[in-house]
Amino acid sequence: MLKPELVEAVLARALKGGADFAEVYAERAKKRWMKVRQGALEEALSGLDYGAGVRLFFGTEVVYAYTNDLTQEGLMEALETLLRAKGTLGRVDEGGKGGLDFRKSTPKGLHAPKVAYGEKDRRYRLERLLEAEAGARIAPEIKEVEASLLEWEEEVLIANTEGVFAEERRVRTRLLVLAVAQDGAEVQTGYSGPGKSVGLELFDLYPPKAVGEKAARQALTNLRAKPAPAGTFPVVVGPGFGGVLFHEAVGHLLETTSVAKKASVLADKLGEVVASPAVTYIDDGTLPHAWGSTEIDDEGRPTERTVLIEKGVLKSYMVDRLGYLLTGYPLTGSGRRQDYTFAPTSRMRNTFLAPGKARVEDLFSGIDFGLYAKEMGGGQVRPGSGEYNFAVQEGYIIRKGRIEEPVRGAMLVGKGPETLMRVVAAAQDLENAPGMCGSLSGAVPVEVGQPHVLVSEIVVGGRA
Amino acid sequence: MTLEEAKAYVLRRARELSLEAELLFGEERELSLRAREGRLEEIKEARQRGLGLRVVAEGKVGYAYTEELSQEALDWALEEARENALLSAKEGALPEGRPLGSHDLLGEGLSAPPERKKEAALALEEALRQDPRVKGVLMGGYLERESRVALASTRGSEGSFRTGFAALIGSFVMAEGKSVKQGWDFRAGKEFHALEPGRTALEFREKTARLLQAKPLKTGRYRAYLEPRAMAMLLSVFAEALSGKNAVEGKSRLLGRLGEKVASELVTLIDDPTLEKGLLSRPFDAEGTPAARTVVVEKGVFKTFLHNLETAKALGQRNTGHAARSYRGALEVAPTNLYLEPVGNLRLTEGVVVTELMGLHAGANPVSLDFSVQALGLWVEEGEVRHAVENFAVSGNLLELLQAVEAVGDDLDWLLLHAAYGSPTVAVAELSFAGA
Repeated sequence: MLKPELVEAVLARALKGGADFAEVYAERAKKRWMKVRQGALEEALSGLDYGAGVRLFFGTEVVYAYTNDLTQEGLMEALETLLRAKGTLGRVDEGGKGGLDFRKSTPKGLHAPKVAYGEKDRRYRLERLLEAEAGARIAPEIKEVEASLLEWEEEVLIANTEGVFAEERRVRTRLLVLAVAQDGAEVQTGYSGPGKSVGLELFDLYPPKAVGEKAARQALTNLRAKPAPAGTFPVVVGPGFGGVLFHEAVGHLLETTSVAKKASVLADKLGEVVASPAVTYIDDGTLPHAWGSTEIDDEGRPTERTVLIEKGVLKSYMVDRLGYLLTGYPLTGSGRRQDYTFAPTSRMRNTFLAPGKARVEDLFSGIDFGLYAKEMGGGQVRPGSGEYNFAVQEGYIIRKGRIEEPVRGAMLVGKGPETLMRVVAAAQDLENAPGMCGSLSGAVPVEVGQPHVLVSEIVVGGRA
Repeated sequence: MTLEEAKAYVLRRARELSLEAELLFGEERELSLRAREGRLEEIKEARQRGLGLRVVAEGKVGYAYTEELSQEALDWALEEARENALLSAKEGALPEGRPLGSHDLLGEGLSAPPERKKEAALALEEALRQDPRVKGVLMGGYLERESRVALASTRGSEGSFRTGFAALIGSFVMAEGKSVKQGWDFRAGKEFHALEPGRTALEFREKTARLLQAKPLKTGRYRAYLEPRAMAMLLSVFAEALSGKNAVEGKSRLLGRLGEKVASELVTLIDDPTLEKGLLSRPFDAEGTPAARTVVVEKGVFKTFLHNLETAKALGQRNTGHAARSYRGALEVAPTNLYLEPVGNLRLTEGVVVTELMGLHAGANPVSLDFSVQALGLWVEEGEVRHAVENFAVSGNLLELLQAVEAVGDDLDWLLLHAAYGSPTVAVAELSFAGA
């Protein structure tokens, strides 16, 4: 995308301007989206994102600029703007002398697609989306269905003054189905959205018809569901996207972005018991073809598998370069950003609660009255107070150990550290599911995951 | 190529290919200064621009965009837009174009030396720390955005406008005993000079400090006083039901309810893109329709959806000029400055003041309008705030909530999301609270 000589000239100029460290991140991404409704293509959009970000460190002070002009003049202008903002323009530092010795790393293609974009035409995609839509038409109450396909083909280049020169091609594909069920004035929705770091083989992994049907079944379940009860109950959280509970309640609190500023309630707790012994929590950026996997992070460092909590004991934070400089914790390849318009921060990749030994039915058997949160929507957290929330997309009442009638509109709220201590047991059926996680450095693709998990009590927001 | 050269090239190529094309250019400049512990920790200064295309080929609409302005990239975008159109089933046409003029809605609003802006960020951060209960400041910051949007089409549209805003942002942790709260706040305006870092820091601190020493809230049904920002968040969800596009696509519960009473008589909802100093005011919409004030709900009666040309036609209503498109997106319908009109008959008696709502992206359903979301608040008894309450969720349905509005304050305040949403404090007869 950019010639090494050009990148080297920019980085060398940055050092001469007094920076201790400089980094260039360039990106060229084709993003395509199409949406089907009422048996036909409704809208299609293709886009080309093209830009670069330059980041300089002066100690732990960071300056960042981005531009869409990736010529030598464009990049130099962005850089000079930064040096001017920093007040070091015109300063000549001897540190910039001597050429950079780039260690070029070649991607291994660990997450490369099997079916490349060009192998199939638009018509083929349209047909798969029509299958998904048809798959959702399982009852007369299903009034509206939208099936969309997202395809991202992204090329990134990351180079820095420590000799990193890394390139990666990242391909992601996601199918999303929204079903709306209506009965009289009552309207409810269901949703399914599998996505992977793959090409069109996504349709083999997740047959479109089944994806459509899943969304429709959820909409129908919600249509006959009563409002969720309100109060504090034991909750069994279902596998897969249920992992968003721990993503919000714990994951965000372990990013050095908050930890370094003591703005996380889990700061300064390495080696301490922060959760019940049933909790082993792992962030793995290397899972083959996972939605949140990449070979290198957005700071050019190989991603890795990071055990965050092992049997309740805090083992590691998620650490990016700035976090490392501020805390001294070893880097974990966790620097991520939405695109060139954001400087990277420490972020999750594919984060999941490891399977335990319990059988799924044992989690339910001791519950007199509680909630089964089978499928989740998204959530949110304030790391500084640990207060989190997340929405139940499909829920059922547990009565005397049995899963009974469906309930809708349940929102689970609590404080992360308290919830961690209340994890009673995890089953063996680990699953992951994709989502988009929004934070300081934008929205990045992540997976969340867990097996069935029993939490002794959570506040369930429903109808009082 | 420059944007001007790219525009000329794409219009010419579109005509050669017998395509109707509408070009939307976006250029944005961002300056962000984040201070922490008395120094500037992060400076971000950036420019972004791109070209978004809406083309009509054989009567069908397709979209593409590019941030690379090489001839190759422009050709790619035109070809992708054409192929997207040809696969589409949806009929469409571009509006008859006209000169729209060149407008400046920002003026000298952001002209101040960079040093002054750095001082503002540092002053805010410094003032945030002037309270022993503040245990850490993640960020005290200054943010400004300046953007220019230009529209041009093969049917003769031609116009542009410049706008922007300046804002102060604070994110910090406050603690008292074992009670910990994280504050996150934002205050924006059209002029740098109108920002007051010291006063804003005090306001940010007070808003979070009052939430300390919170007690659990007992599950129950209580009267709710939704503060401006909390109500504004709910309006951002309700706005989805006001979208003519969602109505056409069967995703609005307001479909078929025009002229009906959908809310309490105290509810008048207005979207006004012509609002002076409105954060998202604009002279024309993404199709070139001139901006006009639209009364959406008048004294509880539903008057109109927000429309673009296509959705207005589909529902047989007048176009309200709410076409919205960023260069990276397809044509949508969106509000600009949407607000609930102040009344001034609100007095606290008893119930829960809801100061903040969290988790709306997942906890509020824009189709069913059901919501169940995390909240922070204050317990009110005998007309007085007694203590803070925490660890609870509030739920209901937005249509029911709007029907149950029994008083509206006069303290209109704004929340800047993808649009600007404004509301005074609103009293709702009863909402369901889940807690201890």
